[in-house]
Amino acid sequence: MCGARTGSHAVSFMLGIGACAVICEAAAAASDISGTYWATSYNPKIQILGGGEPPLNTASKAIYETNQAGLKDGSIMDKARRVCTPDGVPRVLATPYPFEIFQLPAGRVTFVYEMNHQVRSIVMDKPLPNLDTLIVDPRYNGHSVGHWDGDTLVVESAGYLENTFLDATGLPHSDELRTIERIRKVGNQLEDVITIHDPQMYTRDWQARFVYDERNDVKLEEYACNDTHRDIDGVKGVQAR
Amino acid sequence: MTRKLPRYAPRLLAGASLLTALCAAAAVFPTLAADAPATGAPPGLDLSAPGVGWAGFVQPRAPNYDVARLFNDYANPATGIGPVSDGPAHPYVNNEVAREMRTAPTYRVADLENAAGKNLMPWVREALVKQNALAIQGRNGESREARCWEVGVPAFHLNPGVMQIIQTPKEVALFLTGRVRHIWMNVPHSANPKPSWYGESVGRYEGDTLVVDTIGFNGKTFVDSYRTPHSDRLHVVERFRLIDGGNTLEVAFTVEDPRAFYQPWSGTRNRHRVVNQNSLLPEFGCSEANDDYYNIGLEPVPTAEKRDF
Repeated sequence: MCGARTGSHAVSFMLGIGACAVICEAAAAASDISGTYWATSYNPKIQILGGGEPPLNTASKAIYETNQAGLKDGSIMDKARRVCTPDGVPRVLATPYPFEIFQLPAGRVTFVYEMNHQVRSIVMDKPLPNLDTLIVDPRYNGHSVGHWDGDTLVVESAGYLENTFLDATGLPHSDELRTIERIRKVGNQLEDVITIHDPQMYTRDWQARFVYDERNDVKLEEYACNDTHRDIDGVKGVQAR
Repeated sequence: MTRKLPRYAPRLLAGASLLTALCAAAAVFPTLAADAPATGAPPGLDLSAPGVGWAGFVQPRAPNYDVARLFNDYANPATGIGPVSDGPAHPYVNNEVAREMRTAPTYRVADLENAAGKNLMPWVREALVKQNALAIQGRNGESREARCWEVGVPAFHLNPGVMQIIQTPKEVALFLTGRVRHIWMNVPHSANPKPSWYGESVGRYEGDTLVVDTIGFNGKTFVDSYRTPHSDRLHVVERFRLIDGGNTLEVAFTVEDPRAFYQPWSGTRNRHRVVNQNSLLPEFGCSEANDDYYNIGLEPVPTAEKRDF
């Protein structure tokens, strides 16, 4: 809530300290997106905004084909499903199980997913450390910083472990993956539009959009590998088990 | 403080140096700029301040057996029956004691002849007789937590790592080693809780104490690191409060299980306030590359036989 936003922008640009204006804007009033959300549909293959196929380059196309075949014949283990390691981003965004958003602790936004109790801790209003720093301690779901752009939470993440897939079909990424998500409430839904930036694997940046219903009537349940979990048959696209 | 910024801002705009100060303040205290979210916690029990975590163990400056012994163990209650513990025949040496006292660590062998041991019903005692025999042979002594299984309550508290907490009026969430417990505030238990590893926890504040009542366990966990089993009738009440001027989080708990223990027993686990503004909630990658490399008969890690979706 950098109250004199417009004014401070104008003056600070005059003073040539644009970085300060960015920080002031970043500290803008937070919109309330806390609550419990649940997707209404699931697709094992990530759906690219605008349609079409992921813009893989020649090398990554071969990796994707190997992954697809390996996941099918079992020669490649889908660890996220078999031994329940975290999905990585954006695969976790496709979860057919509910998740919670806390705008807590102060200075953080915390995502807690029912599926394999994954967590994402978004550090607010701080710059994202450079990749050289982050890849010393890579995380499944990356390192994330966020700020508010009006009513939209903008989350930038990097420092991902490279042993995850972008989706359940084995879409690859490198450890140079960088994502930007724009997350906002639209009525009683939450929208997350993610931009994938991974020049090692893709010929251009591309986007996907995930939408969730607000479900504050739902309490997150436990999720332990190999247990019988919550009934998700109501989520369109979930295959019969 | 920062909420006053809008009122001060127009005046600050008059001077560039003051504006710089404003922006610097916004950069240093950006989180204060947003409305402080409601935690629902009493002022004396704010466990979720930014950067604050609760460590199960803080290394003493000099080797200290009494501190090291509680590295990953419950403390006894002031009165009454306490948790199962080691005995004189097989003193337990945890890794921290071993490190500080320069001795070799051991596996846990439960004392079945002390008050806690005599409080065990025959099937529980029998399970520990078997486990003791394995542990004496140097087998099956790893905690289930080390094999990536969910640990249950009160065993959740045994981990010496840093617990982080989020408090909202609706829920208190406990985060420890990538595991998460949800405590639902000010609601009754469900009529038929779905059996689970951490059970169904409901909480309320009594003054400056968080009281958590948990039932609905699946009967697959152990109540301690000696592998003391329990039934699905397990009922645990935990009382969280701050002592030592807010520097220690005391978790005092009582365990009752009419099918496992003759009488309720209790224990305590203290956690120490640590501050790290850069700490992130840990991820749960336990099962990654956690095979039984040395073929010493480790329990398998949890593995999904078939996919959910």
